[in-house]
Amino acid sequence: MKNLPQFLAKRLGAMVLIVLALTAIIFLLQKISHINPVHAYLGANASHAAIEKESAILGYNKPIIDQYFHYIGGLLHGNLGRSLRTRRPVATDLRAYLPATVELTLAALGIALVLGAVLGLASAGRWRGAGALRVLMIAGASTPAFLLALVGVLVLNGDLHWLPASGDTGVANPPGGPTGMIVLDALLHGEFATMWDGIVHLMLPAFCVAIGPAVSIGRVLRGSLHSAMKSDFVRTARAKGLMDRVVLFRHALRNSLSAALSMTGLQIGLMFAGVVVVETVFAWPGIGLYTEQSIPQADFPAIAGVTLVLGVGYVVINALVDVMQVLVDPRVALE
Amino acid sequence: MAVAEAYVSRPGRRGLSRVASSRRVFTGASHIDQAGLILLGVLVALAVFAPLIAPDNPIIPSIPFTTPLHGGHLLGTDEVGYDIFSRILYGLRTSLIGVLIVVSSGVVIGGTIGLIAGVVGGWVDAVLMRITDLFLALPGPLLAIAIAAALGPSYAHVLLSVGIVWWPFYARIMRGEIRALGARPHVEAAALAGAGTVRRGLRHLLPGAMPAIIVTASLDVGNLVVTLAGLSFLGLGAPAPAPELGAMAARGLQFLLQQWWVPVMPSIAVALLALGANLSGDAIADAMGLGT
Repeated sequence: MKNLPQFLAKRLGAMVLIVLALTAIIFLLQKISHINPVHAYLGANASHAAIEKESAILGYNKPIIDQYFHYIGGLLHGNLGRSLRTRRPVATDLRAYLPATVELTLAALGIALVLGAVLGLASAGRWRGAGALRVLMIAGASTPAFLLALVGVLVLNGDLHWLPASGDTGVANPPGGPTGMIVLDALLHGEFATMWDGIVHLMLPAFCVAIGPAVSIGRVLRGSLHSAMKSDFVRTARAKGLMDRVVLFRHALRNSLSAALSMTGLQIGLMFAGVVVVETVFAWPGIGLYTEQSIPQADFPAIAGVTLVLGVGYVVINALVDVMQVLVDPRVALE
Repeated sequence: MAVAEAYVSRPGRRGLSRVASSRRVFTGASHIDQAGLILLGVLVALAVFAPLIAPDNPIIPSIPFTTPLHGGHLLGTDEVGYDIFSRILYGLRTSLIGVLIVVSSGVVIGGTIGLIAGVVGGWVDAVLMRITDLFLALPGPLLAIAIAAALGPSYAHVLLSVGIVWWPFYARIMRGEIRALGARPHVEAAALAGAGTVRRGLRHLLPGAMPAIIVTASLDVGNLVVTLAGLSFLGLGAPAPAPELGAMAARGLQFLLQQWWVPVMPSIAVALLALGANLSGDAIADAMGLGT
């Protein structure tokens, strides 16, 4: 593990560079978006002098490089600009919408990991259902999140009334707790009925977000399990008379986790896109809904804020996954 | 002698001639993959011949909210009275054209960058691959949403934005293949025979890398169908009444509990297209010996 500090430093440096590049891309998009925030804030009837004054305050009369540094400086102070639609600072809006999205993403990630592991292990085995499972997985990968959501709402809410189909809670006064996530806040306040209500609301949307990533994780896991089962150490384990189950779980699975882990990190990016769509269908009060409402209004500052926050989240999570991989399998750092 | 043999047997010829034999792809496939190939074929035919097949004009309304199979409307009509079946046919067209554009731009842009990086090597390779890695490190679908939103709603902008985030994957694969092939004796022989960098790249390395690229592209199509429909669902595509499957599903969302077919039918069309493409992709990958 002599290389570990070096590896960490390199990974951290790369992470900072990627985040900087992301800010540069978003800044450039803002510039080409043909939306002049000054005009948008002040309205069509603003006087020329007022526009000049506001432009000077926001720094829009300076060279573009200065504007970029101004933008970065603002970001470091938590300034993401002002939404054209809600007229509030984007950072304030995101603080209100982010917890619900984090809650949904975490729940979906949990489901995707469990389901992905089950699918991967089950389809790697040599049993009669493996072929059918493969088709099921391809069907899962082919189904857009919005179809799952539509059918889920129709079947479970429309006809059966099993699960609620909109929002994140049915309770009138949910605890305004420290995290903003209903389920967690209710737990912290000891309101178990509210917590159950939150879980019930969470299940269907989380499942819709999770299916696609679960299939991808399952396919990668199956692939690496297949090659692990052909390796010498598995043959040795078999030869010394271990049961198939023990060989699979204790020997093959451990050596196959690395690829599935990095796939999970990558899938989180797709999950964010899925979250945006699924939140729309379920009226889930998260950043996805915020984005979907911002698009028709051409509220680019809001969309830029969402992209930046989720993008940074994605980059940080993938850096963590890389570090975890090294801890799980030190050979990775030496490559 | 060994060198001469290596030089004669051009790499990739085997792979490419296998692709050319579409019969082989079909006959060699499992039954379920064959069903997928047929499904994709039918959907492509429906899309290509949409103007001939569509019973109604997709943007001329009749009676709103006709239930499926009533009044000559196979899949019913929507809130305006547009025939959903006809709109789905045109929507499939839009989807397929979009997928073709994005995949081919990914192959051309990513492939060219990967080819240059792999063949030239050195600092060119380092610079190009760092840029590629940078794009791979960012969440593609999310970035596509931001780009499309900045450019304003239109289907061309959706394609452009997805195209911008889609190429790096192809660059990685192309470069990997080229580097692996570069170590093979036939390339060494070509260099000894006096072939320059360009000739080696185009004649001796590129053909060998094509099978991997074709398989990647064919496995990519289903994914792309779903991604494009997702962006269209979010309202980033063409404004109404343009027949786009994702946008049709989004606009029908408000009628879900009363007139379920309005949003569900176009969503099913997306899923069927993606399913056909995914199964066909598997069949092509298997036929080329690169299946998973």
